[in-house]
Amino acid sequence: MHGTETRKGADERLYEVGELTRVEGEGSLRLRVRDGKVTEARLGIFETPRYFEQIVVGRTPDEVIDIVARICGICPVAYQMSAVHAFEDLFGVAIDPAVRALRRLLYCGEWIESHALHIYLLHAPDFLGYESAIAMAADHRQTVAKALLMKKAGNHLIKIIGGRPIHPVSVRVGGFSRVPRRRELEEHRPALAEGLELAKETVRFAASLAMPAFAREPRVVSLRHPGEYPYNDGRIVSSDGIDLAPSGWRDAFEEFQVEESNALHARARDGKGVYLLGPAARVVLASEQLHPVARELLAGTGMAETIRTNIYASIVARAVELVHAYAEALDIIDGYRPPAEPAVAWTSRPGVAAWATEAPRGLLFHRYEVDERGRIASAQIVPPTAQNQAAIERDLVVAAPNVLDLPHAEATIRLEQMIRSYDPCISCATHFLDLRIEEAG
Amino acid sequence: MKHGPVAARPRVGVVKFASCDGCQLTLLDLEDELLSVVEHFDIIDFPEATSARSPGPYDILFVEGSVSEPAHLERIVELRRRSRFLVTIGACATAGGIQALRNWGDHDAFRASVYANPEFIHSLATSTPIAEHVPVDAELRGCPIDPDQLVELLTALNTGRRPQLRDEAVCMECKRRGVVCVMVSGGIPCLGQVTQTGCGAICPRFGRGCYGCFGPRERANAAGLSRHLQLAGDRPREEVGRLFAGFTAYSEPFRSMVTELGGARQAGRESGVEAAPTGGSDARH
Amino acid sequence: MVMASPARGPRARPEGPAFLGRADLQALLDLLREDGRTLIGPTLDAGAIVYDEITGVEDLPRGWADEQGPGRYRIHDRQDDRLFGYVVGPTSWKKWTFPSLVPLTSATRDGHKVGFEPVPLDPPRLAFLGVRACELAALGVQDRVLTAGPFVDPDYAARRANVLVVAVQCTTAATTCFCTSMGTGPEVESGHDLALTELDGGFLVDAGSPAGRAILERLPLRPATAVEQYGAAATVAAVRAGIGDPVPAAGLHDRLLAQLDSPRWLEIAERCILCGNCTLACPTCFCTSTTQATDLSGTTAMMSRTWDSCFSPGFAKVAGGSFRSRHRDRYRQWLTHKFATWWDQFGESGCTGCGRCVTWCPVGIDVREELNAIAPARPPAAETALVEPAAPSPTEFVTAHVTGTKAETGDTVTLTLESDHPALGRGGPGQFAMVELPGFPPLPISISRYLPGGLELTIRGAGAATRALGKLQAKDEIGLRGPLGSSWPLDRAIGRDLVIVTGGIGLAPLRPLIQAIIAERRRYGDVRLYYGARTPADLLYRGELERWKSASIEVALTVDRAGPEWLGPVGVVTNLFDQATWDGSGMVAFVCGPERMMQATVSTLAGRGIPASRIYVTLERHMECGIGLCGHCQMGKYFICRDGPVFSMAQLGDIFGREGI
Repeated sequence: MHGTETRKGADERLYEVGELTRVEGEGSLRLRVRDGKVTEARLGIFETPRYFEQIVVGRTPDEVIDIVARICGICPVAYQMSAVHAFEDLFGVAIDPAVRALRRLLYCGEWIESHALHIYLLHAPDFLGYESAIAMAADHRQTVAKALLMKKAGNHLIKIIGGRPIHPVSVRVGGFSRVPRRRELEEHRPALAEGLELAKETVRFAASLAMPAFAREPRVVSLRHPGEYPYNDGRIVSSDGIDLAPSGWRDAFEEFQVEESNALHARARDGKGVYLLGPAARVVLASEQLHPVARELLAGTGMAETIRTNIYASIVARAVELVHAYAEALDIIDGYRPPAEPAVAWTSRPGVAAWATEAPRGLLFHRYEVDERGRIASAQIVPPTAQNQAAIERDLVVAAPNVLDLPHAEATIRLEQMIRSYDPCISCATHFLDLRIEEAG
Repeated sequence: MKHGPVAARPRVGVVKFASCDGCQLTLLDLEDELLSVVEHFDIIDFPEATSARSPGPYDILFVEGSVSEPAHLERIVELRRRSRFLVTIGACATAGGIQALRNWGDHDAFRASVYANPEFIHSLATSTPIAEHVPVDAELRGCPIDPDQLVELLTALNTGRRPQLRDEAVCMECKRRGVVCVMVSGGIPCLGQVTQTGCGAICPRFGRGCYGCFGPRERANAAGLSRHLQLAGDRPREEVGRLFAGFTAYSEPFRSMVTELGGARQAGRESGVEAAPTGGSDARH
Repeated sequence: MVMASPARGPRARPEGPAFLGRADLQALLDLLREDGRTLIGPTLDAGAIVYDEITGVEDLPRGWADEQGPGRYRIHDRQDDRLFGYVVGPTSWKKWTFPSLVPLTSATRDGHKVGFEPVPLDPPRLAFLGVRACELAALGVQDRVLTAGPFVDPDYAARRANVLVVAVQCTTAATTCFCTSMGTGPEVESGHDLALTELDGGFLVDAGSPAGRAILERLPLRPATAVEQYGAAATVAAVRAGIGDPVPAAGLHDRLLAQLDSPRWLEIAERCILCGNCTLACPTCFCTSTTQATDLSGTTAMMSRTWDSCFSPGFAKVAGGSFRSRHRDRYRQWLTHKFATWWDQFGESGCTGCGRCVTWCPVGIDVREELNAIAPARPPAAETALVEPAAPSPTEFVTAHVTGTKAETGDTVTLTLESDHPALGRGGPGQFAMVELPGFPPLPISISRYLPGGLELTIRGAGAATRALGKLQAKDEIGLRGPLGSSWPLDRAIGRDLVIVTGGIGLAPLRPLIQAIIAERRRYGDVRLYYGARTPADLLYRGELERWKSASIEVALTVDRAGPEWLGPVGVVTNLFDQATWDGSGMVAFVCGPERMMQATVSTLAGRGIPASRIYVTLERHMECGIGLCGHCQMGKYFICRDGPVFSMAQLGDIFGREGI
């Protein structure tokens, strides 16, 4: 059931989508406007909780790495990265620089796959007026074929390093269970080089799309690192002065329960307002570290400011990051020498293991308490979509005036398109047990 | 398996219960074959990929995810009614998934542990496979499923033959590919001997032990393997139990091993373990 | 000793065995590659020595050795420069002669019509470097199976014809090798084009075919010296001696086929995981299946041949089900085919003794052990072979002296004894000693405890000799022979729940078992002890019973006749568990007591689901020598002193409890 219109009394409109499509996971949309004022803006999440934070209790760090990947099928690498770096930080494990490079390369693969999937298969149909990429392929077969090619190059990169693109198997505390030979990566280089060219076209394609009108002053948060675009490492920074170690998320942020709703949101402790994560945030905060190829393309679009204030333009930010991921992957492969050992030995220490990395959708924070036996005693996992939820609902409010004059069905599509601009990963957002399940209607 | 192709251009739906999305994504990840697939199959309902919706009836319905909340119970029955051929895809749908580890715990305690108003949490005490609720016509195992097996199943559905999904140990695949056994040469515990093949022996190829994500194979002698791991590997029972307490823990005989040895947090008792801190090294010795 | 074949026609080469210097080995490899052959040889990968494509000597595993055992393979540094100082690894040459996936035929279907197009044969030219004697035999076995019958496998024949074989003489052996028993090695004798024996400084070289001789003529060789020839011969002889003769191969065919109903198959089935590793690691196994790969429309298909195994579930399947669904039947099929019916089909054994199936079985099932158990060349020996006893001859005893005595009950005493002979303190639980006090007849007494440098004997005074022993004091000496006999097989109980049932003095031989369990308590599951005595005063080791309970052993006691202070059960010991709720199907039971009591107990335990192969009893008969030479303790085909006293009910079958046996 798609967008319903309900008129009740004077001028009350209800924009509702019972089950959002072309987003990962199960969510709903509900926007109620009365006399031009928004009385309700809700991103409903009705994924079933799977209790991951409970399941990992009593397990070992390497088991946790395998388990948390299953929080999300699109971004399993992100979960493995946040977890493994958290444990290595607590246990004082110094990984080989070649291992660090491989981890970034793995992350490049995931960004490529996730961004290509989202731009072309999930989001572009909105801009071009199709209900799906499958329908879009009837008129734009080449475009869709190229998108699939780009996605494949990213998936194959993960496969070379991790065994398979979804839920890779080789990430271990201390390194990897196996590292690729140079030859394996070199054999894939031509596909990545081709993907880079296609990614550059994607920036031009995204910048050419008609952007719906939308503007607000966002507060953005991401990692930032002086020497590289943020993936596994960097300080947590905001556009207004927050600056924390990657383990220090809780110093500035917290999860809380919204009154009258059992959804958990995340907010900044300083009460200065809702914040936004993801490609737009990273491009705003860390554009200096973009690969020169990507930075040049970004400048060429002239859309840096639009990206900052118009959430619909996130597709351009995503395309710029797609270029970056390809370019960085090629650089890493060219400089790759396998480490002496795939992993270093380690021993656990009791304490708190915490770390944040940049998933394709934004900052992903993990925190584990480890006991004397080296087992997990408790876990807290804060995915980007859970943190963006407040921003999505805020933006629904901001978007409301822009859609009031449109025909109802089109207005609803526009609102869905806005939600998709966040690339929400709803299975991630609902992995923990204390989330209210909202049924639409 | 019904004889003959399912339909001229079968109407296909893809639906999701409690899961991570990875198995549906495998369909979108077919890449080279995707456009060919959509020519042979009419995908009428696939919320992840298209806004076009249809309540069915479906010639083929792919179901991902486990039954995990009250609304699922009715929904799966209704979907079964509207499907000629129902295929479960992935460990969640075929075995209950990693989230089935909660089946050994005290569900009320889980819910109440953080939440002041647990009655708002709509989840069942157990996460169970689809086949425990409705008859299933075919299953693709794995966490996630294997893309080649998916194409094989689609081909079989299209041509009317039985899909070639081998039910043999992962060991066979390792030996065919010339992968050196990690258990024999590295002392690394590996569930491959009791796990159904289909993944191409990824984990041993990547230097670590199989963790059973394709589920137990026919006649899996889990008890024999468990005894061997304890005896020759000198491992405590609980460590062997945790090996079985993975993504297909709820399938027999893994389920009985977890119950007998420990490995999932069982209601009312801590997994009693000895002291040595965990550590690890993947360096071959 | 590899001898050069007699020359035919003019030869520029030295007569007799030739020697190739170490530095010239690369020249041989280069020659083979110049002839357009891809070299396949041993190289290191993922912690093992495997066969793979190589280009030069630098790819060989120089200075590496392997160490193999059931379910175990490790490599380590040899601390020298040997290039071939190991034996066979996980890969066999069939990877190239009989690959795991071979496209056979492409098939099309168009309307009514079908078409079949065999895939053209285009086998690569290969040279195998490093083929061992057992592998030469294996190549010969597959040659016979796949090319010498009425139907020939063309792919195999073509690939095989394109292989040049450079054999290497084994100069070492693994503990898993048994080529000697199978008549296939360790000497390289035939089937090779060239053979090398590695010595310090180089190789003895021998040609086994015209192709090999042609290559020799292009190599820089010199005559081998007498020292070199002698050294090579001595090395090979040492390898042969080191392997011994582990498998009684003579007559194995008939003996094995006579054992199709052996209870041992069921015991193996408990361990065997049906994983198929043995068949795929084996260089002679040849079972395959065909797979079809089609496009989505199904109009074109490629049929390929892939390795399969008789252990696979679908292997014996037909429309109605599988002909071989039971676990034990599949292992039996493999073993009997390999070692028995292969003879009937192909006139030779299917096994060449390479030992791969032993090493690469992840749970360590050893075919040699199984063959010896199922179809031994001589009557069954004791189930567990232990330490060599002290004084194993009819004329000898060692002396031990009493260091302590304890009155357990009115008529039973425990003597603590110390001795200089180390064997006495190192036996297994359930063994016994022959005890001799000069002037009295020798007595078999169960050892009720092992100590460093000694042991304990618990003795009930039932006759003159036992009463005399009961009166011994500290510093008194006696003669001992032992430990003798079989012991309780504790390793069968690891990971399982246990039941121990005993009456009266029967607890004495079970006490070291319980102590061994407590020492490693976490290796065992639930342990339940059911112990009955005539009266409360006749219960042995009362203080220890409490300690056992605190080690998580469940202890249930009963007596035939109670006094006023006894609050526990009264009645026969089987009453304690014949109504219990436990399911015996996974359990192990150990039983000791008067024979009547053991019969009733065994019957009750079997009724609770414990299989005969896991119920163990200990038997008593008149013993004079304790070492199977006097004939007194014979029972059926067993000598209780030597083959027992511990037996499984599967071993005893229906002679247990049979009058007059």
